[in-house]
This record gives sequence, C-alpha cells and structure tokens, in this order.
Amino acid sequence: MKKMILKTMILLLGLVVLASCGSNTQSEGSEAAKVAETHPLGQASVSDDVSAKNILQVAIGSDAHSTLVAAVQAAEIEHVLVNAGPLTVFAPVNDAFAALPEGTVENLLKPENKQALATILTRHAAPGSFNVEGLKKEARKGRKIYMATGDYLEVEVDGEEITVGGAKVLATIQTSNGIINVVDKVILPN
Amino acid sequence: MKKSKVIMIVGALLLGGLFFLPMWNITLEAPQYPEPIGMDIYINKFADAHPNDIKNINIMNHYVGMKDIPEVIPEFEIFPYFAGGMMILGVILGLVGKRKLYLGWFTLMVILGSIAMYDFYLWEYEYGHDLKETAAIKFTDKDGEPMAYQPPLIGNKMILNFKALSWPRSGAYLMFLGMAMSVFAFYRDKKESNE
Amino acid sequence: MNTYKKIVGYALTLSLLFIAGSCNQGGGNGGALGDSNAERVYVAPGEHDEYYGFVSGGFSGQLAVYGLPSGRLFKVIPVFSVDGEKAYGFSEETKPMLETSFGTVPWDDSHHPDLSQTNGEIDGRWCFINANNTPRIARISLSTFETEEIIELPNSAGNHSSSFVTENSEYVVAGTRFSVPIPQRDMPIDDYKGNFKGAISFISIAQETGRMNLDFQIKMPGFDYDLAHPGRGASHGWMFFTTYNTEEANTLLEVNASQNDKDFIAAINWKKAEELIANGDFETMPSEYAHNVYDESTQMATSTMKKEVKIIDATKYPGLVYLLPTPKSPHGCDVDPSGEFIIGSGKLSASLTAHSFTKMMDAIENEKFDGDAYGIPILNYDDIVAGVVQQAGLGPLHTEFDGRGNAYTTFFISSEVVKWKLGTWEVLDRAPTYYSVGHLMIPGGNSRKPYGKYLIALNKITKDRYLPTGPELAQSAQLYDISGDKMQLLSDFPTIGEPHYAAGAPASLIKPNQLKLYKLEENNHPHAVKNEKDTRVERNGTEVHIYMTTIRSHFAPDNIEGIKVGDKVYFHVTNLEQDYDVPHGIAMIGANTSELLIMPGQTETFVWNPKKEGVWPFYCTDFCSALHQEMQGYVRVSARNSNVPLKWSLDGE
Repeated sequence: MKKMILKTMILLLGLVVLASCGSNTQSEGSEAAKVAETHPLGQASVSDDVSAKNILQVAIGSDAHSTLVAAVQAAEIEHVLVNAGPLTVFAPVNDAFAALPEGTVENLLKPENKQALATILTRHAAPGSFNVEGLKKEARKGRKIYMATGDYLEVEVDGEEITVGGAKVLATIQTSNGIINVVDKVILPN
Repeated sequence: MKKSKVIMIVGALLLGGLFFLPMWNITLEAPQYPEPIGMDIYINKFADAHPNDIKNINIMNHYVGMKDIPEVIPEFEIFPYFAGGMMILGVILGLVGKRKLYLGWFTLMVILGSIAMYDFYLWEYEYGHDLKETAAIKFTDKDGEPMAYQPPLIGNKMILNFKALSWPRSGAYLMFLGMAMSVFAFYRDKKESNE
Repeated sequence: MNTYKKIVGYALTLSLLFIAGSCNQGGGNGGALGDSNAERVYVAPGEHDEYYGFVSGGFSGQLAVYGLPSGRLFKVIPVFSVDGEKAYGFSEETKPMLETSFGTVPWDDSHHPDLSQTNGEIDGRWCFINANNTPRIARISLSTFETEEIIELPNSAGNHSSSFVTENSEYVVAGTRFSVPIPQRDMPIDDYKGNFKGAISFISIAQETGRMNLDFQIKMPGFDYDLAHPGRGASHGWMFFTTYNTEEANTLLEVNASQNDKDFIAAINWKKAEELIANGDFETMPSEYAHNVYDESTQMATSTMKKEVKIIDATKYPGLVYLLPTPKSPHGCDVDPSGEFIIGSGKLSASLTAHSFTKMMDAIENEKFDGDAYGIPILNYDDIVAGVVQQAGLGPLHTEFDGRGNAYTTFFISSEVVKWKLGTWEVLDRAPTYYSVGHLMIPGGNSRKPYGKYLIALNKITKDRYLPTGPELAQSAQLYDISGDKMQLLSDFPTIGEPHYAAGAPASLIKPNQLKLYKLEENNHPHAVKNEKDTRVERNGTEVHIYMTTIRSHFAPDNIEGIKVGDKVYFHVTNLEQDYDVPHGIAMIGANTSELLIMPGQTETFVWNPKKEGVWPFYCTDFCSALHQEMQGYVRVSARNSNVPLKWSLDGE
C-alpha cells in the first residue's frame, strides 16, 4: 500500500513538472501568436481612416473587384498592395475571372494553391506609376512594362483603346500608393 | 654559519622591503565608485592606488570640510632612518649571534611599531576631526556632535555610504615575517646550543 | 522481482528529475536561451549588452550607438551635423570638422557605417560612415566614440556607394551615386550621355593612426553607383559596385533608368589600380577638397584644403574593371564570408542573382566577353552566374550572412526578411517586418566572420507600431534571433533619423579599449591651464581670452570684470577632474553658440560676444556633484569707453 502511495506521488509529481514545462512552451507560443494576431496582414492591418485610400482599400470598395479582392486575400498578399509603392496594378474585373475556364478560380482559391495564385496576381503589379498617359508613352517609345514577377508586358494603343498584355484598360484610378488600371482580362503567362 | 644566524640576518633584511613596497593601504568603497579609490602608504610617501585616487579623495572630502591629504608629512623624513637602522642592527646582531639579542631586537621592533601605529592613529584622528568651519556639508552624529570621518586604524568601517578599509600591505607583511623570524631564530639557536 | 521494481522506480524518478532540470534550464537563463521573448532581450540593471550596434542616423547626419539585444540607445555620435548638446560644430575646437570646399556645411545625410577589419574580421578600431549629400567620409574612434577625421570627396555627388572597408582596412572605398561632369563645368544637362562620369574614391587608412588620404579616384562611365562591398578571401583585392541607370538617363529616372533588362555589377581590381599608380599611369587633376582632422593631443581640429587628386580613367586600362550583367537595377551588392559569391539584389525584380568569383575569373582569363561599355569588357551573364534565388519575394534590397552557409535578404515591397541557403539557392524561412524594411545587419555580417546570433531589420515605415507622435513618426529596428532554423522576432525599438545601414560588433572587441578620461599631463591644447594658479584673463585689443578651469564644484575664476560691449570673448575652459564620468559643462547667457560639455582633462573653447552692459551669469550645465547648483559665476560687462580694469577672482583671491 505504501508503495502504491509512493508511486502515485511520483507520478503526480511528474505530471506537475510536465504541466509546468508545458505552460512555458505555451507562453512562448502565445507571444508569437500575439504578434501575428495584432498584425496578421502586416501593414494592411494598420487602421487609418484619414489618409487617402490605397490600392487595397480602393479595390475592397469596388463591387466590380470582389473576386480579385477574394483572391488577394486567399493568397495573403494584402500587405504588398499597401506598400509605399509606387505600384501600378492591372485589376481584372469580376467578369474577367468569370470568363476563365470553369473551375479555374475555385481551384486557385484552394489553400494548397496559395503560391500559384500569388504568382498570378503578382503578374498584375508593376513597380512604378503608369496612368493612361504613362501607358501611351511606353507604347510610343516601344517599351514594355516590367512586372513584379519579372515578366514583361507589351502595351498597345489603338486610338483611345489601350491594351496591356492583351487586356483592355477600362478605367484608371489614382490611389495614395499608385495606380489601378481596371482591365477586362486576367493576364495569364504566355 | 649556524642556521639560526642565517634566519636572524634574513629576517632583518626583510625590512628592506619597506623601501619599495607599500606598508599600509586605505581604500574607500561606494556604489558610485565601481572601482574603489584608495591610497597606499609607504615609509616615505603617499601614493595613488589607481591614477588620481588621492586627488579624487580630496575632491570628495572637501565638501565636508576635510583637509587635503598632505603631499609630505614629517614622519616621511625619519621613518626611512628607523627602518634602515633596524635592518642594519638586526644584521649585526645576527652576525654577533647572541640569541638574547634577537629577542631584544624583536622587542625594540614591537615598541617602535607601536609608536608608529599610535602616530598613525593621531594623524587619522586629526584628518577625520579637524574640519574646516566653511564646510559646505555639515553632518552630525546621533548625539548632535559634528560627524567625524576618521578612518579605522585597522579593519573596515562604514563612514556615511563609504566603506573604509584600512589594512597592512606587502611591505608590512614582510616586516612581520622578519620579526617572526627573529623569534624563530631565538628558539632555533637554543636548540642548536643544546645539541 | 523486487530489485527490478526498484530499478524501474529509480529510473522513473531520475527521468523526472531530468525533465525538471531541463525545464529549469530553459526558464532561468535569460539571453537567447530564455524561453520568453522578453527574457531574451532583457539585460538586467547593471549588466551589459552582448553586442554594440552602430546604426546610421540617416538625415540626422549622425551615428547612433545601441546595445543588442536590449535595443538601448547609449550615444548619438555627432558626425556630419552640428550638435549643441556636445558643442560639436559650435566649439572652436570642432568647428573645422564641418569645413568643406563649399564652406561650413552644418548638416548631412549619413548612410552606411562600416567597421575596420583585420584579415577580413572586424577588429574594433574605427567606424567609418559616409555623408551622402556633400560627399565626405568620416572616421570615428571606437576608443573615444568621437569623430576624429572627415575627408571630402571631389568629383563625387550623392556619395552613396560608400563607406566600405577592405579586408585589411587598406582602403575605405566610396562611390558616387550621381555621375557629373568631371571636372565640374557649365554644360547642358541634356548632354549627359557620354559626358558625365562617375568617380570611385579609394581612401587609404594609416594603420597606426587611422589617418585617411584620398589616394586615387577611378573615373567610370556615367552610370549611377548604388552600393558596394569588398571582396574577401580569394576575391580580396576586388571591389564590387552595383550600378543602375546604365541607360544614362538624366530625367524621370523612375521610368527611364528602368529600361535595361540588366544593369551591371562593376568589379574593380584595386590591386591593379595600385600598380597603375605605381607606374605613373594616372592623371593629376586640380581639385579642391577639405581634410579635417581632430588631434587628440591638442584636442583641436584643423581643416586643410587639398589641391589635387590622382585620377585613373577606367576606359583606358584593360584589366582594371569588368562589368557583370545583373538583372533590374540592382541595389544591394553583398559578398558572402568566403568571398566566392557576389549577390546582386535587383530592386525591381522578384529574384536574387549570385555571381561566382571563380567563374568570373575564369571568364576573364578566357576573355569570354559579351561586348563592352566605353571599352570596359562586359562578361556574359550565363558564364558567371552561380545561382538564382527564384521568386524569393518582391523588391530585394540587401543581404547579410550568418557564417553557417545561410544568407538573409530584405524585401522592401513584400516587407519581409527571407533566409536562404548559399549554394542550393533555396528559400528556408521568411519573416515579416513592420514595415517596409530597408537594410539589415548581422554583427560581422559582411566580414569573413559573422556573429550569427541576432539580426536587426531596419524599417522605413512604422505607422501604428508605437505611440503616435504627430505626423512625423520614428523609424525602427527589429531584432530577430537567428540562432535556430527559424527566425524569431524578439523585439523592436525606435531609432533616430532614418536608419540606413548598420554595423555590429561583440562588446568584447570594443569595451577593453575605452578611453575613460583625458590625462591632464597629456593635454597639449594651446589654451589649456592645468591648475587654478594659472587661470587668468588676457586682453588683446577687443579680443579677450579667459583661461578658466572647472573642478567640483566651482569655476576658477568665477568673478570677471573689465569686459566691454563689443569685445570678442574666448572662454578656454579646462576640466581639471581626473575621475571617470565627471564632465563639467558651461553656458553663458545670450551666447550665440552652444554650451560646452568638457570631459575630464579636456579643454574646450566657446566665443561670446557681449552686446549689453550688465552683470551676466554663467553656470555648469552638467549635474556634476552635490553642489552643482552652486557652480556658477558672473561676468561684468561695461560700456565700450569705460575704465573698469580687467580683474578676475575666485573667493576674493
């Protein structure tokens, strides 16, 4: 009987020791978690309703870009679109995504395809400011636009119509950290 | 030569250390001095334990009206003669080789040493009590008397937030060893005579 | 059976004790072993940090000294901007430090600190830093933490690819950002192409004293030279510079300098340049640039105007420079600890390029060139590239190394630090920064011997990271523990100015060399007085020199009469203290200059122009002692035509 008590006590002691160890590990985890929790999206988590709207905020406010915004969120690259820039984003409207072969968007939105999705979206961003005038100038000088992925997109001008990498520019919006050129197509790799 | 004679002569010669090693040291420790400040006392001078220590002790002490540590004191004139004289006397006694004279030398050393310590005490008393009337800061002890800043004769003592340490240094330790050797020589000679 | 049970029992107990023991170890130990982030950056009161961090002050023009891992700020060393706190640029002794060929320049933009090296390892002697705007290089002593020397760079403009120290501190190298007419002349800006040139300066360092000398400049094509790092090990003797605007555009560079698919890393063989100099293959060009030196013995700075500079034209001497094609306006140019890999970060690219020094030498030997620029051979990209870190992030800027075969690169646009492996070029880990990181620093991270325990990321934007301070916000440094497989963000702390680059060193390299005070007997200042008996006031026409001393807790003299309106009064003040950390200050009412802050054993001077009659006080500005508040004095100022005799005293004597 005595032995039993002794053994139980040893076991209990062991549990206490382990538990205290466990709580240490937990506190470390929670500290790291705290950082992630307060700023899960990096700079995109900064709450600021005074500054002029940035590319991400403008896109979120646009009904025509709900698919794009969902894709950006799925790829977790929000912070790129709030960066100091200047950036030019060629933002495909919802219809452009809808025009892709059936199932493409759904497939890309799956967590396991996060990286592929990020690459596709990044191909729509260029360092620098290219508004309509800027795009026309690039076309006039025969220069291609260098995209954040390293691809080059050709700019073509036909009268008032401008296309970039085959996608037609529908509208241009100036934001605090760059320019959104609304386009009618998703720009896929050649 | 008899071993006792050698021991007596070597013991007396150890007094020679007083001419180049410090005899005594007073050190002050306080939180604002990560490296304590202190003063080494030789038979003929006061010296910084680290560069500028005496200057910094003086700067600190002048606020409570203490006088600067003097650069020379009269004792520095006569101490070397006593030390040198006792050393030569000890060697001569050793060569003479009468063991009772060894004890006599030892006794004389004790008497002279006591006089030196008394003199040291008087100087410390003077240094710690004779404060300038114009002192910027005047502390009183719990009886309302002006506070004294006398360092201990030997040992450690707290003075305000300073810990004052007063201890012999290598020169004095060699002297003590020499004195002990004179006593040892006395017994050794006794043993050698019996054999 | 019983014995068996006993053994099991003991084993169980022992293992529990072991667990308990290991648990304690994790918890009690602080530093990087501590198990909470707070413990890992906590340096207990009285304890010292493990590393010094020297962080550029950016547009403050200064250099800030932090402790790592605590992030505590110890000192802002004034370098290129005046600093009233330390009388830098205000005292007569330091005014010459800010002299240039344009006159006194009281401000600059400091960018890239770099530490002296011996055998490719940081040695704790000096820190160098560049002034970007009015091109200069400064040398800061790491025993006094004071700026000792500043040299101006002629023919340079926007001194950005600077200041980088070669493996044995032979040179500190500085490259121009802007290409300009060399020599400067009045010409149309549109004639830029082919006519503007870029100057790369090689400043030698005297090993005993640290004294700098502009040995020679290499005149390069009219590109922009962005950043640089020296070769080390096998590549010792080479210096690598990133270039952009190889288009040689002179307007709207954000577009026009981003056209070429590849710009260059310029590899300069400076051993070859030394040979050319020795053979007399250079041109001596008349020039004008200031060389300012602070002498620790006289405690005075002097400024000398130099009159000429040796120039080597890179286009004329084969074997001096080769161009390594590197994608998309490379910014950072970093060399790994072995000296084999030269990393170019195309700031508009998503990938990083690593060139191989071995392959480069091979291509040069076999003369496998792919054209030339103004006669300078261009190597073939495919011949020299060692590897590419694909799609590592967006907007790569700078890379440092941990000495364990890993590299760490900052990405501005995607706001992160990415850890990758040298040789396999695979991404190992990524950590976000808050926000928009520029440079990063690992102590010794650009030497042969990195101390790969901590990394600091130097961020450009803080937004909501700290308590807000109106529109202008602090910038920040973020500390990561990189000792494990994964980077761990431990803390962040605000920095002064804008932190560009930084340099770090183990405290043990620098702490033992600290000067604690200036020895009075070694003070050779021409206006020093070493004891109160020699204090005095002398008049020479309208110029009055007051030779004053300070010691706890008084000035000598502290009553001065016979000064007249319109005099120019020099206060030469010597601090007689010889005790660590007992400076005295002095400030005079209405003086059109700063206080003085005088270290023990030091002499400093300020000038006062009394404008009004009256009795005007001065006082000690540094809380020196219990009777600091009593440390004060008066100067009586009389009318210009008065007969009040010159008189000075302390306590009536």
